[in-house]
Amino acid sequence: MAVVPFHRVNVLTGIKSARVIDDASEYASFIQKSRRPLLVLGPLLNEWSLDGKLLIDYALEIAKVANIPICATATVKGKMVELGTKPDSAYDSVEIVNHLKDPEWKGVRKEGNHDLVIFFGIRSDLEEQCLSVLKHFAFNHLKTMTLDKYHFPHANYSLPNFRKDAQWKAFLEKLISDLSKEE
Amino acid sequence: MAEVVNKLSRKEEEVRHLIRADDLWEPVGPTPMPEIPSLRSWDMRLLKTYKPWYAPFCDLCCFCTYGKCDLSEGRRGACGLDIATQQARFILIACLMGCSAHAGHAGHILEYLIDKYGPDKKIDLGTYIELTAPNIMTVTGLKPETLGDLKTVIEYVYKEITHLLDSTHFGQEGSYLDYESKALHASMLDHVGMEVADIAQIVGFNFPTSVADTPLVDMGWSSVDESKPVILLVGHNPATSTTVVDYLRENGLYDKVEIAGICCTALETTRYSDRAKIIGPLSRQLFYVRTGIADVIVTDEQCIRTDMPIEADNVGSRVVATLDKAMYGLDDATEWDTEEIVKQMVEDNKHFAILDTRKAAEVAVKVAMEIAPHRKKRWIEEEEARQLAQKCTNCGVCEWVCPNLINIGDGITEFAKGKPDLLRKQFNECIGCGKCEQECPLKVPIFKIMQVAASKETWKIRAGRGAVMDTEIRKVGAPITLGTIPGVLAFVGCSNYPDIDDVADMVYEFAKRKYIITLTGCAAMVAGMKKFEDGKTVYELFPPDFDAGGVVNIGSCVSNAHISGAAIKIANIFAALPLRANYEVMADYVLNRVGACGVAWGAMSQKAASIGTGFNRLGIPVVLGPHSSKYRRLFLSNNEEDDWTVMDARKREIVDSGEPSPEHMAYVAETKEKAMVMIPKLCIRKNDTPQGRSIKLNHYISLYKKYMGGGLPEDLHLFIRRDADIPLVYKKAVREYLKEIGWQPKDPVGLPTLIGTYPSKIPLEAVIH
Repeated sequence: MAVVPFHRVNVLTGIKSARVIDDASEYASFIQKSRRPLLVLGPLLNEWSLDGKLLIDYALEIAKVANIPICATATVKGKMVELGTKPDSAYDSVEIVNHLKDPEWKGVRKEGNHDLVIFFGIRSDLEEQCLSVLKHFAFNHLKTMTLDKYHFPHANYSLPNFRKDAQWKAFLEKLISDLSKEE
Repeated sequence: MAEVVNKLSRKEEEVRHLIRADDLWEPVGPTPMPEIPSLRSWDMRLLKTYKPWYAPFCDLCCFCTYGKCDLSEGRRGACGLDIATQQARFILIACLMGCSAHAGHAGHILEYLIDKYGPDKKIDLGTYIELTAPNIMTVTGLKPETLGDLKTVIEYVYKEITHLLDSTHFGQEGSYLDYESKALHASMLDHVGMEVADIAQIVGFNFPTSVADTPLVDMGWSSVDESKPVILLVGHNPATSTTVVDYLRENGLYDKVEIAGICCTALETTRYSDRAKIIGPLSRQLFYVRTGIADVIVTDEQCIRTDMPIEADNVGSRVVATLDKAMYGLDDATEWDTEEIVKQMVEDNKHFAILDTRKAAEVAVKVAMEIAPHRKKRWIEEEEARQLAQKCTNCGVCEWVCPNLINIGDGITEFAKGKPDLLRKQFNECIGCGKCEQECPLKVPIFKIMQVAASKETWKIRAGRGAVMDTEIRKVGAPITLGTIPGVLAFVGCSNYPDIDDVADMVYEFAKRKYIITLTGCAAMVAGMKKFEDGKTVYELFPPDFDAGGVVNIGSCVSNAHISGAAIKIANIFAALPLRANYEVMADYVLNRVGACGVAWGAMSQKAASIGTGFNRLGIPVVLGPHSSKYRRLFLSNNEEDDWTVMDARKREIVDSGEPSPEHMAYVAETKEKAMVMIPKLCIRKNDTPQGRSIKLNHYISLYKKYMGGGLPEDLHLFIRRDADIPLVYKKAVREYLKEIGWQPKDPVGLPTLIGTYPSKIPLEAVIH
């Protein structure tokens, strides 16, 4: 049975839904296998925290250990600068998605378009719409993944709706740990 | 050589007759009463740079019995349609809904006023407005002199709506670009329909015109004197609401009954009576209805709760439905005896549809006066609310269904513990749909509890003033087109905001920066629902003039036509370009030279879709709030990688400006901070003088620093043509940045235009003034 997203406004009206994954090792494997992943970070990361640690810190750790370039959307860049990190690019979510759907786009490091786009921290209705753009218009050249604690049907790979923040925290910590290991 | 005279077709002759082509107030331009293909080449040029960005809300098409058809991953439906074209079809249908809502409103108002005054009633918008109908004149070529002329215009709109809707049928249009061209056409017509409606209203109801300093009126539910009978007016059409005011005046009841409104009818009624109160925007509708304070609820059309009689039953209010668009299955009592209707409403708690405005007004007043003394409903007390809140177990079901993604359970449980702050914050974020309460498994009366969190403040809003005056355009035309007034901003649309304070914050920020601020509809209301220094709203803090730093409430939704009209007036009055049936030239001028930007932060309805898309066809970009990604379509460029070629009409050569201005046509920002950085950028035009450009960039850079964490914008170099464009205060830092990236100066474009860069019947001479 298909997973119903936490926010019902994002309920799937279609056939092809995200593969639900709660095993961080599997996520890590997908990320490590991709040639040019991209992290698209949203402003909720500046607000959300797990046991006092801001989610932006988790995001930056993931980027660092897996050498993933970052696209900072909305006000994320300011927070990153405050934390001493510069994003590889700063576009709003609809703009980066607009670039990503073009297979010829050169990517944020000018090395070619990305083959795995990881969304994290955008308000869920907008994030789901952005995922829909890529599902329909970039399915030939990239996959999408989400790290938020909710299920996103339009992604290729999504977390389930975590009932407890502790599950989410454990997932993110395991992901960072797995990504830190050599392949 | 003998002159070749092209014989006019029967259809062309007919159009020339309708627009009185022989009245030579201006020569008739190339596209009188344009049809679907007439402006297609302009649309295609726009769509080449501002490509549609589609975010399908649904993977399927379920329009016909061949379906459901799965359109994902490049599949086509049984009819051959692909997912992009299906999205474009949806957008066209949405724009047609919006356009027809306004055209229907205009048609109803016209019939009502023609019945009252006859078709020869003259259009007179006062001493300072000679150019009365810029949208109508530009699109149709007719200069309307009377209400009868407006009827000719609206019948043209009806005809086009039919053809456009026809194209959405199975097996018709197969190109998403052509559907978008049709959506642009429908939305241009929407501005025509809105203009018809508001001109008719101004003329027929003596709404303010040719004046800036309209009265400051009361807003907020505490402004309503609950000790009196209360009539709540909901919707958009002022025919009945003005008649209620007339009835009260004529019968010596003006001080004895409270009239309060929600949504645009509220704005319209305050244009007629400064004693009328504005409860607030659409998002406050269900809250107020559920208080039961309204004795009688009078509905007209658009943006009304469709379950109004059910909600009214729950609190003992009575409903009078006054327009055929929304009759709720009620008995039609239009032909009934007034006293019989009143009796049944008072004694049997019945609601009725009454399509005669005079009778509806009389019934509403009589019923309100009868039942008000027996009204038992009141605002809930804090202790009672706290006890109700204690039922909540914070199970989270309310959060699942909230369109604004609010965890209301947290707010309710905090409140139950005596901490109201979170619930107060959530009330400001709440869009008032009521889905949370519907889903609550414990039936916690969330809306009732929220009454105690709701602000009991009252605010001042300036009554809508209608069209911008020609004299104002003469004053600001030069500084707008040169760029020394950094932009004209239009805050428009519904109340589907991330936070109700956002609009007021943005208006305050840009008014202080000397942008011209115009507002309409729900956006105009919420801009006034926050107090700044000295406890004043933006309407009290800033002048009401269409000038730098002015905050101008134009009016209701249909008054949006006066904002697009102001842009056309700049091209016609200031630049002296003929407007008659000359839409392409007007739009090209606005796109390239008028630094205007719409902000539809809470856009939700189909009307908002057509209003925004109509601005787009005229070359005015629109910034939308995050919910608006659910419209499914934006118009985005690929920034510097796109085609920014223009014709320099002075040199008569095509040049690659390399400057993405305006960068996007319909854009979603996730946060108000990001919107406030995008807005000044979208006001940049290729026509800016060095002084104007440096002013615009000064705002862009300073807002970027304020909200994006310092540094310089990543794309700043794209907007600097020469050193003189660099704002003085940032000269050093910007020069260093430009040196670092190897920036090279480029020539500004003397007279930028798209004419000459795409196939068009418009000669280049037409844009040189």
